[in-house]
Amino acid sequence: MTVLDTEVLVVGSGAGGAVTAAALARAGRAVTIVEEGPWVEPDALEPFSLQEMLAKYRHGGSSAALGRPAIAYAEGRCVGGSTEINSGLYHRLPLELAQEWRDTYRIDEFTPEALERYADRVEDELSVSRLPGAPPPSSAVLERGAVKLGWRAVEFARVFRYEQGGRAVKQTMARTFLPRATEAGARVIPECRVVRLVVDGDRVTGARCERAREDGTTEPLTIRADHVFVCAGAIQTPALLQRSRIRRNVGRGLKMHATVKIAARFPHPIDHGDVPVHRVTEFAPSLTIGGSASRRGHVAMALADSAADYRDALAHWEHVAVYYAAIRSEGSGRVVALPRLRAPLVTYHLTEADMSRLARALVHLGEVLLAAGATELYPSVSGGGVARGPRDLARWWDALDRSTANLMTVHMTSTVRIGEDRERTGADSFGRVWGYRNLRVNDASLLPDAPGVNPQGTIMALATRNAEQFLHDT
Amino acid sequence: MLWFEREVVAALIDPRLDEPTRRAVTDYVDRTLRSMPEHLRAGVAAESLVFGAWSRVEHAAGRLDRDRVRARLERWRRSPLDPIRQYVRLLESLVLFAEHELEPVSAS
Repeated sequence: MTVLDTEVLVVGSGAGGAVTAAALARAGRAVTIVEEGPWVEPDALEPFSLQEMLAKYRHGGSSAALGRPAIAYAEGRCVGGSTEINSGLYHRLPLELAQEWRDTYRIDEFTPEALERYADRVEDELSVSRLPGAPPPSSAVLERGAVKLGWRAVEFARVFRYEQGGRAVKQTMARTFLPRATEAGARVIPECRVVRLVVDGDRVTGARCERAREDGTTEPLTIRADHVFVCAGAIQTPALLQRSRIRRNVGRGLKMHATVKIAARFPHPIDHGDVPVHRVTEFAPSLTIGGSASRRGHVAMALADSAADYRDALAHWEHVAVYYAAIRSEGSGRVVALPRLRAPLVTYHLTEADMSRLARALVHLGEVLLAAGATELYPSVSGGGVARGPRDLARWWDALDRSTANLMTVHMTSTVRIGEDRERTGADSFGRVWGYRNLRVNDASLLPDAPGVNPQGTIMALATRNAEQFLHDT
Repeated sequence: MLWFEREVVAALIDPRLDEPTRRAVTDYVDRTLRSMPEHLRAGVAAESLVFGAWSRVEHAAGRLDRDRVRARLERWRRSPLDPIRQYVRLLESLVLFAEHELEPVSAS
């Protein structure tokens, strides 16, 4: 068996792991990053394509949280994690949520000022910016509809760098923090799955891994480390901790932005090359409206979710784009590692209030799309019926229920919450797992609740903060 | 992929597609089902065995054709029972995504 030694082992290379690794490597620490997925050249595959799903998504994109209704979800599984597959939208944590979390979970040094300072640094590193020109029609739809209704809509910033000539380059972890980490001496090991952490009393001494060989087989690998950061995301992080028999407040309290969709047909062709950058924030953060990837395959899937006759709309798919409404759910879920299985069981319970909120979200989304000029709306509700005017939307209030809603999410958080309230948290205010001196979590798992906005900005700001605290402490 | 899953996928694929493209779509569905979380794959497989039992009988009696499978799927798509509806949703989503995202095989 191969044995490697390192000072700091970082498990996972997404928004949490890459930022952590770069901060520690730049400070002169010897860092090893292990990533279960492969290295994929950032420009090799078209965004949101079938090939990208096969290469970069965990389980080919076909995961679901069990519950009534089930909620489909997607995670990245490649070097760079979910930052390689998301839309790159960026948002700071709403400050009122930061204050609420700090008070509820007793999080030390979680002031709005401190979080803003870390957000500033992340934004500088990632070239967070807005579109240099006018928004594409699929995005302008949301702005136009909101203006007609007197609702607030904003153009979100993205982690994109715009080159001369207009080429937009998403600043994923594989393009930014990971190269910076390796330039500072960090080592990245792709296709290396951590089976479990090696625990000795109140210390973690390393990890037992399976590393892929070129011939497709795997070899055992042990990595000994003085410190371990688990940054594998809100599903895989608690699963790994549980496999390592670390279970106190781990895996409970999963939060998601449950999402309904509408495939909207317009009288004119609409662009499909990118994700709309506008969001309707009139009801934020409890409810946010935006646009999704709308390649032909996505349009077909969204139309089918209505269970209506969609053949004519699909034949004119160039006129159709997909939009979503996401809620902050008051329900919660669990992640449970299952003996001898690689994938954990994920469950999620939506409350009755959540179901009402989803119906409201769907109707509001329909209102804004009709106001923007859509002529047919296909909701992700089986039997919800196609809406062609405001009166049709009224049907959706009753049509959306647990037996008809087709839901999905790409934002999962809160499975190892931070804070000093040991009854409700799995890690202290800076991500150190309770009961273990040298084990830390530094990813979406730490967020006490779903933020109501794209969480990657919050994850990266928090990861920067916690890495600095680690450097201060050790 | 199990026998009934192949029947469902064959019924869902656009009949206008040529054979190589149909095969590519089927291969994609097969690959994705294989890569699902084990417990979800087991659930889908169990559903396939249960839902497919009657179809097996019909098949043995020579009374199972694609139109009959399609009609059944149309009913299941609107089923109030979430597992049944999600079963169709899963397979239909995979077929649709592959149909519209794969390059036409015969043209390549």
